[in-house]
Amino acid sequence: MATTPLLDREFLEKLERLTIHWQKSFAGLVGGHNKSRLPGSGQEFLDHRNFHHGDDLRAINWHAYLRLEKLFLKMFQVEPRVPVRMLVDLSTSMTAHGGGKFEYARKLAASLCYVGLLRLDSIEVHGFSNRLGHRISSSGGRHRFPGVMDRLSLLGPEGATDYLAVIREFIGSYQQRGLVVIISDFLDDRGCERALQYLADFGHELMLVQLWAEEDRNPPWTGELELRDAETGVDLKLDFDDEARRRYTFQFDEYAAAIQTMAHRSGGRYAGVSTAQPLENVIFGELVRMRGVA
Amino acid sequence: MYLLNLSLFQMFAVFGAVSAVSVALYLLDRSRRKLVVSTLRFWTAAEQPAVAARRRHISQPWSLILQLVSMALLILALAQVRFGSPASAGRDHVIVLDTSAWMAARSGNRALIDVARQNAREYLRAVPARDRVMLVRADALATPATAFEPDHKKVEAAIQASQPGSTALNLDQALSFARHVQGQDGRRAGEIVFVGSSRTAERDPGMAAPPKNLRVMLTPDNIENSGLRKVGLRRSADDPEQWEIYVSAHNYGTRPRNVTLLLEYGAQNAATRAPVGSEALLLPAGGDGEATFQYRTAYAGILGIKMTPHDAFPSDDQTELELPAMPHLAVTVYSDQPDLLRPLLSATPRLTATYRKPAEYKSDDTGLVILDRFIPPQRPSADSIWIDPPAEGSPIPVKKTVDNVPFSHWDAGQPAAAGLRAKDFKLEKTAVFATAPGDSAVGEVEAGPVVVARAGKPKIVVLGFHPALSPMRYELAWPLLFANLLRWVSPEIFLRSEVGGGSVGTVKLQVADDVTAKDIHVTTDDGSPVPFTLREKTLDFFAGAPGAVRVLAGDHEYMYSLTLPQLGDVKWEAPPNAPHGIPHFSVVMEHITDVWPWLALLGAAGLLIEWLLYGRFRMAKLATRTMTKRTAEAAEVRR
Repeated sequence: MATTPLLDREFLEKLERLTIHWQKSFAGLVGGHNKSRLPGSGQEFLDHRNFHHGDDLRAINWHAYLRLEKLFLKMFQVEPRVPVRMLVDLSTSMTAHGGGKFEYARKLAASLCYVGLLRLDSIEVHGFSNRLGHRISSSGGRHRFPGVMDRLSLLGPEGATDYLAVIREFIGSYQQRGLVVIISDFLDDRGCERALQYLADFGHELMLVQLWAEEDRNPPWTGELELRDAETGVDLKLDFDDEARRRYTFQFDEYAAAIQTMAHRSGGRYAGVSTAQPLENVIFGELVRMRGVA
Repeated sequence: MYLLNLSLFQMFAVFGAVSAVSVALYLLDRSRRKLVVSTLRFWTAAEQPAVAARRRHISQPWSLILQLVSMALLILALAQVRFGSPASAGRDHVIVLDTSAWMAARSGNRALIDVARQNAREYLRAVPARDRVMLVRADALATPATAFEPDHKKVEAAIQASQPGSTALNLDQALSFARHVQGQDGRRAGEIVFVGSSRTAERDPGMAAPPKNLRVMLTPDNIENSGLRKVGLRRSADDPEQWEIYVSAHNYGTRPRNVTLLLEYGAQNAATRAPVGSEALLLPAGGDGEATFQYRTAYAGILGIKMTPHDAFPSDDQTELELPAMPHLAVTVYSDQPDLLRPLLSATPRLTATYRKPAEYKSDDTGLVILDRFIPPQRPSADSIWIDPPAEGSPIPVKKTVDNVPFSHWDAGQPAAAGLRAKDFKLEKTAVFATAPGDSAVGEVEAGPVVVARAGKPKIVVLGFHPALSPMRYELAWPLLFANLLRWVSPEIFLRSEVGGGSVGTVKLQVADDVTAKDIHVTTDDGSPVPFTLREKTLDFFAGAPGAVRVLAGDHEYMYSLTLPQLGDVKWEAPPNAPHGIPHFSVVMEHITDVWPWLALLGAAGLLIEWLLYGRFRMAKLATRTMTKRTAEAAEVRR
């Protein structure tokens, strides 16, 4: 049965002028597009330092030695190839209120994959809920994108979110630091802040994209409600009115602000995205503003 | 205030049922809504859980009240609540307009129907606009021309379109019908107004008394009238070409009257007919006069009967009857001894016999062919009687030939053997036939059938002997057998025709004893069947419109020309307490206020307001507006 592709050709053409950016300096082989503060085998001069035994003699600044009779070593700036890893939330909370968040997350991940492949980045995508899912790995250019999109299309929702377990598994799997893009609603009853902080402390740069449906942030219902948690199945009966709605939204915004603060504090970036917003507006608006893409 | 459509109990029952359904739906609709959400962490922080999980209560009482009030208003609109008293509500009147044949009579320069129509229109104008009126046209049958119409213009148009019919007024039936239709509707019965003449058909004394709400608007009809009542024609027993004509006339007036009956005969065009007889009659007041005529003709034509001088009701002063031609059967006899058969065939005037030698045989003869001891090279295409045919070539195979055998019996069940009893003769020589299925053995000897009839097209009769050359020639059975065979071959030639002229309505006719319902066919001139009853040899049928009716009963044919109008003899006396003339209805009838349209509008408006204030419309709009606002706010905060 033929399925509709996640992204159409016209939208992909709009993405071709974008590049995924990160702020941290990561070590790596030359071939990337973001400059690093760490010296390496680049072409552009970075700094001098004292010569030590074992340094490459080809990098000694002989002009400085003739003038000062001291050995200084020239250091060069490198643009390393840094892996871009994406974690896409597949928990059942993403399917609440019509499944808009889940679909939105897949499209956003596919868009960032396409942008990364365009700039020859190495892309690794993981779905997750209470554990890390199978890896979707791709690099080498845009012609690899159809395979990535097909595999993203096959992802399905399952399970409840457990950030701590997932991050622990992620850190154990990847030693090389890099950019970690997490697309999720960040709704974990045990909290996700500690797990994310753990990931940032390990040296990864976080780019957090929090998705919510409008019903998640501002429930339109009033009266007597019987609620069921999409992940845990726990029921809750309550009376809901305008005052309660105000408190609810306040709580939600508090939580989102906490995630944002954590991301900024650890040198990462954060974008809160409502699924009511068009995807194009989010990529060229929110993500560009936070310097996630440029 | 009262309800037009529902009783108070019915209205409360309907409102109770609707309210119960509404409240149930309301509670279901507004009860706890079940939702699946992404997480409960913000909900628990926002609100304390409800204490009573199963308790249902009305969270929006004004919404429910608005719904119930709106529905009460709609039910009141359906019930057609009115201000005023039921006594002042509209009523249903029935105008019984006399459209009998007599209404075509002229009084002065106007016909009676014109006067009656004028009276009916005046009554209609006096009826309050709120009242409904039904028009019933009454002659022998009561026919509703309209339903109970609130639109009096439609009734007036129906009155204007009413024309006199051909039958007499059956007033009892018309009044009974009017009373019946008034009782069928739930509205208040108004008046039954009879507009017309007092001349009706004979009344049944067992009929119910006139209705109490009867109003009478009689049309003056002191008109002197006399007219033809009945005409009868039949062929003379002595001379079939001679018609015996009987004419009966009646004087409906109060003074004796001298009239002249004039008979004309000829073609369809009356101007070309020739007078064939006349007779003067003195008709006593309310009495009958009769005259008989004789007229000889073998040809078909139109017999016109006129009564002069004409009077104010000319419809019954003349009639026309179509006389059929004398039927003839052409008989071709092939025989070397024609004298043996000549006496038989010349005795019947309806036969025209032609005698030929066998050598002159032609196979395309029409009518009836008689072959006397002769086998033709080609069988005749017409019906045929074969007398003593040679064994080889007989249309019915000869089984054997026997000599000197006594005649055994006639088959009484066969029409060809009807009335034959003689069997005391011997046949010197006769052929015995081998019959096939479908063949009828008319006469038999011990060895088998000797006279056989084969139905079909053409009909064939075979005689194994020559009756005129056998001892049978001394028996009466010989001419009877031949007459039966001729009648069996061509029954239409021997029909005994009678022609009658009369008025439309019920026609009674005495039929022969041996005629059963299966032998009777009653048809109109276009061939369509007319329902009839047969009770104790009396045939009854009803003709509601002028025209010709043909009755075929056995060997009798009756042609009825029912063109004379049917006039009633009975003068109806209106009940002394029945009001006459144009009524004066009370003006209070107009002061009734219909409020149901306003109630319906209010009810609909209430439901609309409830939907706008509390319904899904408001929820959807509110949700959309809030989401848009919050999305914009959130985007602004992120920036």
